Amino acid sequence: MVITKQRFININKYALIAAIIVYLAGVFTSIKALQPGIIFTFGAGFFLLLHQPYFLSRVKLAAHLWILPAIIGMFTYPILIEKEPSGQNAIQFLLVMIISLLPFLFLITGTADEEPAKKQRLKIVSARTVVQTFIFMLWATVTAFAFIKGSRGDLLFWGMFHVFTVAILPFIMGRVLCGWLCPNATMQDAFYKNLTFKRPISNLPKAIEEQSHTSAMYISGQIDKSAPYLPFTLLLCWFPMFFSETVFDLTGVMWYPVAFMYGLIGLSLFMPWRKVCTYFCWLSSYRAMCGQGSLWRLRYNKSVCKECKICKAEEACPFFIDIRNQDNEMPASCCLCFSCMEACPFKGVISFRRAPEEKARVKALGKAA
Amino acid sequence: MENNYTTPLAKWARALEIIIPGYMFGKSYGIADEKTVDLFRAQFPAFLINLAEYLKTIFQTDNENLQRFVTNTAGAVIGFSLIAILAIVMHIVLRDRKYVDTLRFTAVTLLPIAVLNGTLSHAVKTLVENMGTQTVEALTNSAIQGPRNYIVLNFCFYMICLWMLGRRTGVVRTRRWAVICVGIAFMAIYLASGLMITAGEWQILLPKLQAALAH
Repeated sequence: MVITKQRFININKYALIAAIIVYLAGVFTSIKALQPGIIFTFGAGFFLLLHQPYFLSRVKLAAHLWILPAIIGMFTYPILIEKEPSGQNAIQFLLVMIISLLPFLFLITGTADEEPAKKQRLKIVSARTVVQTFIFMLWATVTAFAFIKGSRGDLLFWGMFHVFTVAILPFIMGRVLCGWLCPNATMQDAFYKNLTFKRPISNLPKAIEEQSHTSAMYISGQIDKSAPYLPFTLLLCWFPMFFSETVFDLTGVMWYPVAFMYGLIGLSLFMPWRKVCTYFCWLSSYRAMCGQGSLWRLRYNKSVCKECKICKAEEACPFFIDIRNQDNEMPASCCLCFSCMEACPFKGVISFRRAPEEKARVKALGKAA
Repeated sequence: MENNYTTPLAKWARALEIIIPGYMFGKSYGIADEKTVDLFRAQFPAFLINLAEYLKTIFQTDNENLQRFVTNTAGAVIGFSLIAILAIVMHIVLRDRKYVDTLRFTAVTLLPIAVLNGTLSHAVKTLVENMGTQTVEALTNSAIQGPRNYIVLNFCFYMICLWMLGRRTGVVRTRRWAVICVGIAFMAIYLASGLMITAGEWQILLPKLQAALAH
């Protein structure tokens, strides 16, 4: 079988959906049992989908990743059976085997449709996919443990997540953690990036859309001191979410973060990809505010841009930011996923530093202003 | 000029840029209850907690959710007021923009201190909840040492915010140093007026808290 791009996506996607169903059934219903192999099916599935441009031409290598859940399942099955001999464990073990070995068989017997890509993945993007997959597996494990055992390991996860990603790291790294650590973002990146059907609500009203990103905001060189610092949508989502959490005291409620996350995932079927994060996630607004003065920034070097428009918003950015409209500043809603940097075929146009020509241009603009 | 075009919702965005940090900054002052109020007085400047307690008496209700909203708002009012006062000083230092723009600048740069207030108040609540299960040494450590380190950390972030937001909104370098000095002075006043529990305060406070929780 020839493994085309669509086939590759479908094989991994359906295996992942099956794994999620088994996970949800095991954790949130009366079954209350989870085979650890399921967590590793998440690892294999999400990693392959997030790294799809690399693995598309290396399907044999991709197949080997699907063996990992089966091995974990085989090692842990005797321990689980010895501890609690129940039919649930046996059924879950069988399901792990089916979920992991079917994609393995499809991929190992298939032949790649594409030649290896000429342009290598950026190392930073590869690092991001590894971090995303690892954090997702961690989240899935602690949440499962919390619901099955009745302890609050998930609160520890969210507690650390809040303290580091909302309160501390944005001051240094901006909204990077929306792109790197959020389990919701991992699911959205893996499932929705290639799900390009037209959503029923493609945009919010024009007035809000206009204020969603920062073309109207302050830009180095040409400073409008009365321009808003933050996108309106990020500020708007803060109120309903933060107020409901505070007023109804939802911080310690077990179902709240889970419902919130799966709610965002569901909403992504009705709205373009990660726009829901900008519209509805109050944590992202919090991070954007705290990340105003972040030290790690992305620069668009307008003066060396060839205007090929490959980085154009809809094709490269999950948040639909057209970086070419941002002069040379990273907008507050950027989550530093580096998709635009990877999409750009030229070196140095989108980078971490201002090019010398850009420095001169900004300086001249500053003087003129 | 295209880059200076502002959208119809820009004024709402600007208003929220003042309201949200103000709310975040001040709400911690209002959330003390009768068991924790003494601890909050020791942790934060006592006059701010007293002011919040007074504001809470103006509107009281039996509805638990509404009351939670009132207590948060009482603190938030104090937060707005403090930011507005600090913005006057910043306005004198910056000199190049309207007061309302300075107010936004001040509000956004105060976010690390708002996060500091929020985390300290949350830590205090957790401390009280664990009162019965911890040793005196552990309680003293979590009440005195932990917050001290956290204050230092957030103070550094506050300085980053002041510098970077100043840089990105066109504040010239010499004035940015002046802005940093205002920030340092603000933190010095905040600490001098009672932020952080001292060892002396804790010795008086601990038996009081233990007695209050025993009943």
